[in-house]
Amino acid sequence: MIIRSLNEIDLQSIYKHLEKLCANCDKIKSPACKESACLIGFSKRALRFSMEKGVLDIPGANKLIPTRDLKTYYPETVAPGLAETCRQCRQCQDNHSPNCVIALTRTCLEYTTLSQEIDYPGSVFQYLIKVKEQNKTLSELIAAAMKA
Amino acid sequence: MDGVIIMGEAIFRQKNKQIAVNVVAACGVMTPRQFAGLGKIAEDLESSGLKLTSRQTVIVLLEEDKLPAFKEELQILGLNISPFGNSIRAVKACSGNAELCRRAITDALNIGIEIQSRYLGQPVPDDFKIAVAGCPRGCTDPYCADFGIIGCSRNLYNIAIGGRGSSGNPLHGRTIAKKCDQHAVFQVLDFVLDKYRKFAEPEERLCKTISRLGIEAFTPNFQLPEKNDVDEEFVAFLTSGE
Repeated sequence: MIIRSLNEIDLQSIYKHLEKLCANCDKIKSPACKESACLIGFSKRALRFSMEKGVLDIPGANKLIPTRDLKTYYPETVAPGLAETCRQCRQCQDNHSPNCVIALTRTCLEYTTLSQEIDYPGSVFQYLIKVKEQNKTLSELIAAAMKA
Repeated sequence: MDGVIIMGEAIFRQKNKQIAVNVVAACGVMTPRQFAGLGKIAEDLESSGLKLTSRQTVIVLLEEDKLPAFKEELQILGLNISPFGNSIRAVKACSGNAELCRRAITDALNIGIEIQSRYLGQPVPDDFKIAVAGCPRGCTDPYCADFGIIGCSRNLYNIAIGGRGSSGNPLHGRTIAKKCDQHAVFQVLDFVLDKYRKFAEPEERLCKTISRLGIEAFTPNFQLPEKNDVDEEFVAFLTSGE
């Protein structure tokens, strides 16, 4: 049984940013493109699952994130997607779930650019502070993309 | 017990000589018929007021000679007088379920009602309070209950025991089981109640028994069902077509 409603969250807007990243990937539409083993592909699958099933949390999904995907991405291309996850985040504070599909996508995008996973504090403001501690440029790009 | 009119039932004499009758519904949920009906009975019997309690029950203030009529009418509405004394009390559950609270991660109300229907009034060494919350926010204060159930994921619950809220020495419960499905919640509840009945001194609250014997005595010593907390449907979806 899932309870939280998806009505107030626009997952499609996050998905669009991921498609842009895929469009610039060398492996797109090749036999080597395997979504379950790709950080961006995994996020897309999680979002499609969420939208198809009408669920926001996918229990245990964060354990399935393909952390061995080492493809590199420019912060400029990742920041808009991260900004969109911040925009859609309901800032659940204590009730934050790492298996929320928004959190899953954000975590995957972090893995593409940051050296350490961020323990999401449940609020966007605190999150940006944590990003800044690791990568000042990325935090500025995210902040700029959120204003755009 | 001083002020209690009938042992075992939550009916208390008040300073003004009236009695306070504690009415329990399904974790605080009444049908409109029950709600209006209770108001009608209270009016007909010239109640001086009704008060909502922190255990999601309703106190009705009456003159003592109106009690038999009140009980009769209450039964017709399908409501009951709350148990009192050394028994399992009304279960507190938040409104987390498939239709209500949007913040809930999992069901709390339905399992709370089920627990109440099975355990309400059962004898125990001292009062035993159960609270169920559908998310870690814990609107029903599950860490302040003897047995607190906290939704942690879809259809999964953590369990904390030994909490005590209404006291000059409040205590938070300690977690004894994690990621229990509903079946396991009932298993753990039966286990804790069994140990409590065996080990507690008369009128010893669970937190005191725990402090005397240690939490280990109340930690399930049986294998809880191995709960794969990964959504298997998602696993299949993730790799489909690859």
